[in-house]
Parts: sequence; C-alpha cells; structure tokens
Amino acid sequence: MHPALVRKKNLLIALLILFACSIAQAREAKTLAELVAMFDDKQCAECHGEIYSQWQGSWHAKAVNSSLKGMRNFIAVGLAKEWQTPLTKAQLLKCLDCHAPAVNFASEELAVEIGELIVTAFEEKGSAQGVRAAETLAKLNVGCYSCHNIKANGVAPGLRGAPAEKVIYGPNGDDGDDFHQSVASSDLQTSAFCMQCHGVYHAPDGETIQCNTLSGSYRHGYLAAGGSKSCQDCHLNKGHLFPGGHDLETVKEGLGLRLEVAPYQHLPGQITGVKNPADWVPSAVITAFVDNRAGHRIPDG
Amino acid sequence: MVLEVTAKDSDGKELFKSEKKWFEIGVDPDRDMRYGAWQIKGIIDLTLPPLTTQREQYLVHFDTDIDEVTVEAKLWYYLSGGRGELVYEEERTLDF
Repeated sequence: MHPALVRKKNLLIALLILFACSIAQAREAKTLAELVAMFDDKQCAECHGEIYSQWQGSWHAKAVNSSLKGMRNFIAVGLAKEWQTPLTKAQLLKCLDCHAPAVNFASEELAVEIGELIVTAFEEKGSAQGVRAAETLAKLNVGCYSCHNIKANGVAPGLRGAPAEKVIYGPNGDDGDDFHQSVASSDLQTSAFCMQCHGVYHAPDGETIQCNTLSGSYRHGYLAAGGSKSCQDCHLNKGHLFPGGHDLETVKEGLGLRLEVAPYQHLPGQITGVKNPADWVPSAVITAFVDNRAGHRIPDG
Repeated sequence: MVLEVTAKDSDGKELFKSEKKWFEIGVDPDRDMRYGAWQIKGIIDLTLPPLTTQREQYLVHFDTDIDEVTVEAKLWYYLSGGRGELVYEEERTLDF
C-alpha cells in the first residue's frame, strides 16, 4: 500500500479508537449492579488470587462501610443543614471520588441513591433495612480498577490523558494475556499517586475536604527533612493489604521509644513535703525519647 | 498518640504520673474546632513531625522513706473511637 494511504488508514484507526474511548468514558451506570459489573474486581482474582486476597483484608476493600459515619454526617449535616444544598452526584463525589471511585461512572440518580443508602446504613444500623443498605454498599470500595484504571492517570492527566476503558495500568505493564490490555505506568509507584486521596481533597468546585493530611506532612515535613522513601516503600510491604495505622506492626515500624533514668539523692532540706526534711531525698531524672521514623506526622489520618 | 510515664513504689502505689499527647485540632474558617472533613479548613498541629525525636524529661522527687521505685514508659497509639494500642513499653527499677 502507498505510504500516504497507510498513514491515512492508521489515522482513521486512531480516530475510531479515540471515539470508542470517549463513548466508553461517557458511559453511565443506571443501577448499582450495572456499576459493579463495569468495574468487577472479582474477575481479577482469577489470575491475581494472592493480590486479591491481600486486598480483601485491606481498608481499601471496605472504604465505604468503614467510613459511614463521616459520609453520613457530610450528607445529613453538612449538605442538608449547614450548606442547605441538595444531595447530588457532584456533592457525593466529594467523599466517593476517593472512597469508591467507580461512582464517577454512576448516573446522577444512582449516585443520589447511593448517598441515601449511606444515610440509611448509618442511621438504621442493626435494623434489617440498615443491614441491607450496608450489604449493598459493601460492593463499593477502592478496588482493583480504582487504582489500576480510574485513578491511574490522575497524577498527570494532561500528560497521560484519560485512562482507557478496561486497560490495566501498573508498574510493569505485564501482559494480561487475552484478558486485558496492560500499560506500564510509573505513576502508580509515586507518592503523588497515593496523595490523590491521602491528603486534602480538592473538589472540582474548589471545596476542600480534609479527611487526613498525610500528604502535607510527607511533602513539607518528611521530604524537607531529607526523607526519600515513597508511600509504597512502607505501605506496600505487605502487598495490597496496604497496612497503616490499623496495623500494630506498621505503627511499630514508624515509631520508637527509649527510656533513660538517672537516679540520685537530692540534698536534704531543699524539697518540701517529705517525711524527714533532714534526710537525703530519693530523686530521678526520667527522660523518654519518642521517635517518628515514618514519612509523615504521627498521628494523622 | 500518648506517652505515659509513671513511677510506682514496691507496693505498686503510684508516686508520679505524666502524660504527653500528640494530636491535631481541625478548625473551620472561624477558628472553631471541628471534626467534619467538610468543615475543617485548617489545623493546629500538635503532632510528632516526621524524622524527629521528641524528648520528654521529668525531675521527680520521692519521699525520704522510699527505697525502690519502678519507672515505666508506655507509648499508646489511638485509633478513632478511643481504642488504644500499646506500641512500646520500657521499665527501669531504681534502688535508693
């Protein structure tokens, strides 16, 4: 084929792919089942069983139900009473863009329904209705697709573009055989990747949501003090379990305690209130050294 | 996070106790203390900064009839809900 025709053909194919991707990105789920199916993490377990098993024990796996109180308060107190603003998808994403990124692909109606489930699950906790709501919400979380697709290009969206549907982004770009296309992305190995959510969240309308501020002290405390590790260096040491403050072993790694005691006898007559003012006074200088070896302030989160 | 330092006599009676807490306070734009993530727009940082060692020092005088003291330091880490985990503890026994 003539080179000019090949170029035209390639351009046409590229445009078709771009068009298909733009349709895929615009796709919105109208039901929770549809949304879960769009980002079904269970299928990942078929080939990545060990990683999936680690993730199941993580707080990422229960990122909605473990934070019901805070999210319910945002909806029922923040939106309803303080801001006097209706619950919308855009408002709910101030929580769920991080706690369940898949909700970005929910319809407006479905997002509002999810918000109402959050209120029900918290306010009706223990009742049949509350249990049902929590069981439904358990299907939403920070799953495989959350990091390896939806948020994958969030560090540098201008440079990387929007993530393509069904493509798995990872540090090595290993081929997923026929199951999925893989793209090698160093972004997932950066602290900036985690800081998309583990820091002050900036919503598109400018509102800030401060669940935790780890990234602030990582950037301006740890790096400024000469630290060079990434979030992943410490928090990926048990794989996709991502241990943190809930894991005593991890807390121990980040902290240190040393006790020094210097006993002595204080001169008689100088300390008031003792039984025998004429006697030497048993005394001690007690010094405790507490180390923060972590990459961020403690406590935080 | 709480550092608890105690000194007890040989009968276990507490002669000295001190607690040092590290935490942060979230405040809204009016500088009112807040817990809601949507309300907090600033913090007062009383936490332990990264890559630092904090020294807590106490000069303690015991009574003249005290001949043995056990000094204990415990470092507690508190998750939300007030559940504390004992991270480290160290103990020294002093004979006077």
